[in-house]
Amino acid sequence: MKTDEIKYSLQNLVHRKTRSLLTMLSILIGVMAIFALISFGLGIRNYMDTIAEEAGADKLFIQARSVGVPGTDANFFVSADDINFVSKINGVDEISGMYIRAGEVKFKKEKKFVFIAGTDIDKKEFVEKAFTVGVEKGRQLKKNELGKVVLGYNYQFEDKIFSKAIKLGNKIEINGNSYEVVGFYGLIGNPQDDSNAYLNYRSMELLFEDIKDEFGWAMIGADKNTDPEVLAEKIEEKLRKFKDQEEGKEDFFVQTFADVLATFGTIINVLNGILILIALISIIVASVNIMNTMYTAVLERTKEIGIMKAIGAKNSDILFIFIFESGLLGMVGGIIGVILGYLISSAGGQIAAASGFAMLQPVFPLYLIIGSILFAFLVGAASGIMPSIKASKLNPVDALRYE
Amino acid sequence: MLKDYFMFSIKNLAKRKLRSWLTMIGIFIGIAAVVSLIGLGEGLRIAVTSQFNFLGSDVLSVQASGLNLAGPPGTAVATPLTDDLKDKILKINGVDAAINRYIESGTLEFNDRQTIGMAMSIPEGSERKILEDMLNLKAEQGRLLKDGDNKKVLLGNSFKEDDIFGKGIKPNDRVLINDISFEVIGILEKKGSFLFDSAIAVNEQTMLNLIREADDTDVNVIGVKVKNVDNIDNVKENIEKLMRKERNVKKGEEDFVVESPQNLLATLNSTLFAVQLFIYIIASISIVVGGIGIMNTMYTAVLERTKEIGIMKAIGAKNSVIFFLFSVESGFLGMVGGIIGIIFGLLLAYGLAFIGQITLGSDLIQAHITFGLIIGALLFSFILGIISGIVPAYQASKMQPVEALSFIK
Repeated sequence: MKTDEIKYSLQNLVHRKTRSLLTMLSILIGVMAIFALISFGLGIRNYMDTIAEEAGADKLFIQARSVGVPGTDANFFVSADDINFVSKINGVDEISGMYIRAGEVKFKKEKKFVFIAGTDIDKKEFVEKAFTVGVEKGRQLKKNELGKVVLGYNYQFEDKIFSKAIKLGNKIEINGNSYEVVGFYGLIGNPQDDSNAYLNYRSMELLFEDIKDEFGWAMIGADKNTDPEVLAEKIEEKLRKFKDQEEGKEDFFVQTFADVLATFGTIINVLNGILILIALISIIVASVNIMNTMYTAVLERTKEIGIMKAIGAKNSDILFIFIFESGLLGMVGGIIGVILGYLISSAGGQIAAASGFAMLQPVFPLYLIIGSILFAFLVGAASGIMPSIKASKLNPVDALRYE
Repeated sequence: MLKDYFMFSIKNLAKRKLRSWLTMIGIFIGIAAVVSLIGLGEGLRIAVTSQFNFLGSDVLSVQASGLNLAGPPGTAVATPLTDDLKDKILKINGVDAAINRYIESGTLEFNDRQTIGMAMSIPEGSERKILEDMLNLKAEQGRLLKDGDNKKVLLGNSFKEDDIFGKGIKPNDRVLINDISFEVIGILEKKGSFLFDSAIAVNEQTMLNLIREADDTDVNVIGVKVKNVDNIDNVKENIEKLMRKERNVKKGEEDFVVESPQNLLATLNSTLFAVQLFIYIIASISIVVGGIGIMNTMYTAVLERTKEIGIMKAIGAKNSVIFFLFSVESGFLGMVGGIIGIIFGLLLAYGLAFIGQITLGSDLIQAHITFGLIIGALLFSFILGIISGIVPAYQASKMQPVEALSFIK
């Protein structure tokens, strides 16, 4: 019966308590680190999937090429004529230009530099869908009203942007002009976007005199039956001809929303992968430790092995006992590692959320938990293979005589 | 006597060869990982910071505050600098020179290909020489700009390579800046800095008349050279005072920044260091695991040699001797593991840097391993070994000789 052998393994582990505990400790540290890193990596991917789903895969962007953050260099822009032209291209369902400039926001004597965005109120539903969030508190701006502003999510809290929280009805200054806060956007999840200030076109054109018809970027919604990738190429080609520019010399580029996310996702995956690889080194060391512990166990129990063999234990029984024992070491280490990793990730996620990175939230799918424990078991069992083979191949007569 | 202790330790380690080797492998993997990561991390940090250290230590920059990385410096600001500030700064005691710098983004076209970059201005008259010294400008081919050079441009060293336009640019070639034809007057010496080697420099008048919009007189940056480096903090304060008065802002509410290149470097360094630290922490997990391996091995050694310890005590060995014996043994495990780890770490770091440079063609990937790092790693692995051995060694030293002698495995 295998249960006897399992019981025997357990007894042995308990018998050498210190050694077993130390060996488990060595593998649990690595499992903990890897579990935490993967849970964050999966969390970011989840966040991006949600965004992609909410914003829709049918969105495209036209951006001006520029030095620095796209859309903020006033020398390069998407003009109103461009937008008007693109809106007539077959397959373009909706298009909306976005003004963007850096500005100085002042509230109760404190000043901060943020991006000021000018949105198209006529197309507010489309814009909010592309942003994935709408105005959640207060109201959206009206098309022609002046002196009103809608702020990003983070302004509602103290010590995030200003030391005091801003409430609906408060007055703020942007580049010296006074605005009343009428609404707040919902949480986007990264500190930069959540600290934008939003004006309507008219306020924006009054605030920045030279900005009229010069948009930082434009977002496009593709028709239902149009492949956004194909549409992107079509827009690029037609707009190039319209602007009389040669291929390779465009002052703009067209990207699908999926492209932007894929680029970002690849970068995140590579970075996360490097960290996981570094953490894997500790698993290798732990596996060496397990191997060492198992060699010692075989050595100490040489006589025992001899007795077992003398009363009829087969080589395969001995092999099973030792491999199972070392797999058990790994698995218990893995279970504790997963629990500790869960605690660390949860704490890390809260810290990240508190500092404005709500996008950095770990997730713990069942397959990650089971996979980590299984991985730890396999590492343990694999590390025990060589010592176990050594044990199973012992000659019963020599083993019995061993002192 | 001391020699005997060491011989005893080594003999014991040799007796349990397999176990000693496995324990050392544990340490060696961790040390190799950390040494190579620190080496590559330092190399990256040095490569990145060297991109920005072409300015002398006697230089200050004055900028309106705004968002970084949004267009050329000084554009994403609320209140730009005006062109009259320069002369006022010049009157401050200790200021040797103050120069208005105009920077504008635009297109550069050559060989039917186009790129986007930042053009910077070079002042005319006596200020020219000062800026040339400040930036240490030297022409590798052709010559530097001089007064009256209209529609002439001086380019950074990277433009002479084929990869930007498919064909390297030489002096006397013609390029288009914002669709206006310019004659290339010279190519600057290579500085190894991305910013500097991709410079597009034109005379101030050319910049204001041809590249800028006509009525735009905003200054992007004012470069200030101080007379005496020792007074730089003082001069900085005086400039700040003047700027507050000129721009009518209170202390603590400044809408401008006066910075020395050293400040900028320090900020950059601390950001990079935070990233490095995170990676090092994850890498050191494996060293901790290696330390646990040593502790385990030493516990086993103490257990196996219980009888031996009893005999040693029976013939007069003091507790401290037993403690010392086991500590040396575990320190030894750590150190030998460390030495092998350092050798492998060196090979790994230089090997990865070599492969990285070949496959990515980037100068940013380089290994920088100092003597201090090697000694530090060695010392660290020895100390780690001793620390991991403390509890087992203490246990061994506290054994009752009678019980130990009667111990049966």
